[in-house]
Amino acid sequence: MSKPKKQQQELEQRIASLNRPIAPNKDLWQGIEYAIVNQQQAASRQKAQIKKASGVSRYLAIAASIVMFGFLVLFIMDHNLNQQGESLIANLSDSHQKQKQALIVSFADTPAATNNWEQQIADLDEAESAIKLALKDAPNNPALLKMLKQVYEQQLAIIERVHAPAWQQI
Amino acid sequence: MQRIDSNITRLPNAQINDADGLTDMQLNNAIDLAKGGDLEAFRYIYNQHLNLVYGLCFRLCADKSQAEDASQEVFIQLWQKIDSFNHQSKFTTWLHSVASNVCISYIRKQKGWWQKVFSLADENKHEQQDWGEISADTLEAFVLRLPERTRLVFVLHGIEGYRHQQVAQILSISPNTSKVQFHRARAMIEEWVNE
Repeated sequence: MSKPKKQQQELEQRIASLNRPIAPNKDLWQGIEYAIVNQQQAASRQKAQIKKASGVSRYLAIAASIVMFGFLVLFIMDHNLNQQGESLIANLSDSHQKQKQALIVSFADTPAATNNWEQQIADLDEAESAIKLALKDAPNNPALLKMLKQVYEQQLAIIERVHAPAWQQI
Repeated sequence: MQRIDSNITRLPNAQINDADGLTDMQLNNAIDLAKGGDLEAFRYIYNQHLNLVYGLCFRLCADKSQAEDASQEVFIQLWQKIDSFNHQSKFTTWLHSVASNVCISYIRKQKGWWQKVFSLADENKHEQQDWGEISADTLEAFVLRLPERTRLVFVLHGIEGYRHQQVAQILSISPNTSKVQFHRARAMIEEWVNE
């Protein structure tokens, strides 16, 4: 075996022998234990915070559920009220149409005092349609209901007035 | 560690773990206890493997004080990772791999940005660090004298026995770079030995 090759082999062996455990000059455990215990405490704190946060979020969820339920109740009530309002308008309108037709029929043989009373009734019909359109969005609006009632009263009053003038009653 | 020590008397013919003199059963018992959060069992593992870990860290860091810090970091990380040890490989093999990775990452963290900037200029400049009781004319001292990148490759491949592919993975370099750095280290050491 040539000298350089032998030297290289010796070097290889010496290098391989470097793979050995070495003892540190001081014990390192204290620092390791401190870090581990600290990490554990931090993890416990974090868990506690998460638990606390999840407790708070549970209450928030309950509160949100209550609010949602409240909204649902209001929505249902509002829906029912709307249905009630719509039904009231339909009844009112139906009743008025019957009353109006009955009145016109009853005055069929009586001459009218003016010629434009039918135009006035038609104008009031248009007013009725406009109020009903508004009532579709707010069936329980008391002001609109009152206006509709007034329109119906005016129509009936015109029919009666033109067919029974005041001077004839004196 | 009475719980662990008692296993030795119950298992007189148990296989001895070649790295640290523990029986495999004894070590497995300590690992399982440590997995369950037993710090005392973990300290037992620490006592049995400290020199192995410190030796590796010292060769990689080439500085006594840094090696101590890095070893502590290895055991702290080991405490967090021990759950992932599944007994499929030898514990010392697994620990060696964890220690190498943690130590390399520790070295990277220690390097300030300014050191990175000037690393090329300092590549061939040897800085005398704290080597403890190792005298400057020994082979061990020659390894410690190597420039950092060259030393890391030399230690991992030449001393610790990792393949170039593994070294490349640990150091995030190409296998070819690992080979080149290793041959460079070999040449430098041969030169110093023959001086």
